[in-house]
Amino acid sequence: MRHGLVAALVGIALMTPLSGARAQQDGQACAGGPATMPTELAGWSSRRQITAASNASGLGTATLGIGSAVDAALKSTGEVRYVMRPEKPGGSVSYGGLFAFSVDQPGTYRVALGSGAWIDVLRGKNAVASTAHGHGPDCSGIRKMVDFPLTPGRYTLQIAANGEPAVSLMIARLP
Amino acid sequence: MRRIARVSLAVAAAALATAAVHSSQWRWHLPTRIAPPSVPADNPMTAAKVELGRQLFYEADLSINGTMSCGTCHSQKHAFADDNRTRPGVHGDPGRRNVPGLANVGYAATLTWADPSLTSLEMQVAVPVLGEHPVEMGMRGKEAEITRRLANDPCYARMFRTAFPEVNGAIDMSTVAKALAAFQRTMIAFDTPFDRFRQGRAGAMMPAARRGADLFFGRADCASCHSGPNFTDDGFHVLDVPMRSVDRGVGEVTGIASDNGKFRTPGLRNVTLTKPYMHDGESPTLIDAIRRHRSVASIQGLSDTDTADLVAFLGALTDQHFITEPQFALPMKACGKKL
Repeated sequence: MRHGLVAALVGIALMTPLSGARAQQDGQACAGGPATMPTELAGWSSRRQITAASNASGLGTATLGIGSAVDAALKSTGEVRYVMRPEKPGGSVSYGGLFAFSVDQPGTYRVALGSGAWIDVLRGKNAVASTAHGHGPDCSGIRKMVDFPLTPGRYTLQIAANGEPAVSLMIARLP
Repeated sequence: MRRIARVSLAVAAAALATAAVHSSQWRWHLPTRIAPPSVPADNPMTAAKVELGRQLFYEADLSINGTMSCGTCHSQKHAFADDNRTRPGVHGDPGRRNVPGLANVGYAATLTWADPSLTSLEMQVAVPVLGEHPVEMGMRGKEAEITRRLANDPCYARMFRTAFPEVNGAIDMSTVAKALAAFQRTMIAFDTPFDRFRQGRAGAMMPAARRGADLFFGRADCASCHSGPNFTDDGFHVLDVPMRSVDRGVGEVTGIASDNGKFRTPGLRNVTLTKPYMHDGESPTLIDAIRRHRSVASIQGLSDTDTADLVAFLGALTDQHFITEPQFALPMKACGKKL
């Protein structure tokens, strides 16, 4: 799986704290308000609260719905027992966690994040290879998006190396 | 191809002549006629140091918020480069320059794209960890926090004691840098179709790659700068290319006007795996990168077929072992315990 933190002058509130000069630039760049979101990400602006699981046995209460965004409270990295070691593990001062989600229809699914954290999508204990990555629409608050080809079934989303104890998150099926 | 052989022999002889101190404690696995990289006298190679350096290479606690390690940007599957144009730092500040690959980085006379004063891997560590132009890992003034975090881990404390007995296992920027440098010196990549061809296996390179080699060392004259075993003269040159933003390159460091726009000649081993290209990452393909050399007279006359042959030759510089070697990969254990 590959994805990167892409340098995007994107939205403000949900991003990792920026340097003063950069935050000012972003503020000016986004003065016109939030970007027009693609249909599949329309749910981004309405987010419910959820808490990440710290291990696989806690996934029952950390379930994401397709097309619904969440503000997720994460765990300190030291508390998290990942199903599979993330390719880019976070340090002791970072945050992460686990979520479950189910797919009913085959297709390409996009994981959108308000940060540049590392993500893995697992089927069982195996990582699904991503097919694309990039940043979200300007001023949307989506910093990173990664696409995965998924077939019907149950999956685990691992988040690692997040700099803040919370992250906004959404999984959407692409048209 | 005799010209290739002559060049190779000359380069290997030069490498042998210039190699500095080589530790007897470390066994290098190198092809015949390739000398080990120079090793500073105050940082001899040891297995313990290399093992520690590998752990630290993937250690995100070297960044202020624990989100970024060396391996975050230097990804093994990309020959320890990155597939983004540039990378933002931990605070989201945009990256300025493309992430270079690390194949044979121990042989580099200078590090980074445009700083002639950075002459050792030990010195270079400060650029991402402590640098502020741009901020990458964000630890400027927080060096004591690195010590605190690592010392808090009994495994690291043990590894530092084993790797640095001469300073009683001190955990500080000096020992962190020495361990990282030692690990990076093991990142050797000389197992390519080109190397096998040069050793006499005529079938190791496809015809297009062989034609590309003839161009590279001949009419296209790429080897005038991309020379030596790592296809770099370690020099700094100006390519008259349009750039999205102003980057003075070496001139920014030296303050000398004639250095403006100069950047280090990048090595070309594994170059097929390290896209995008050039110091600004603005060339998405090798064809585009070659075309950005249009100010070089010998490149101007290349046909599309010539360019394709050059790309085929560059593909023959790929060391597949380098991107799969477990000794370079994210450690899955430390101190005998699964991570």
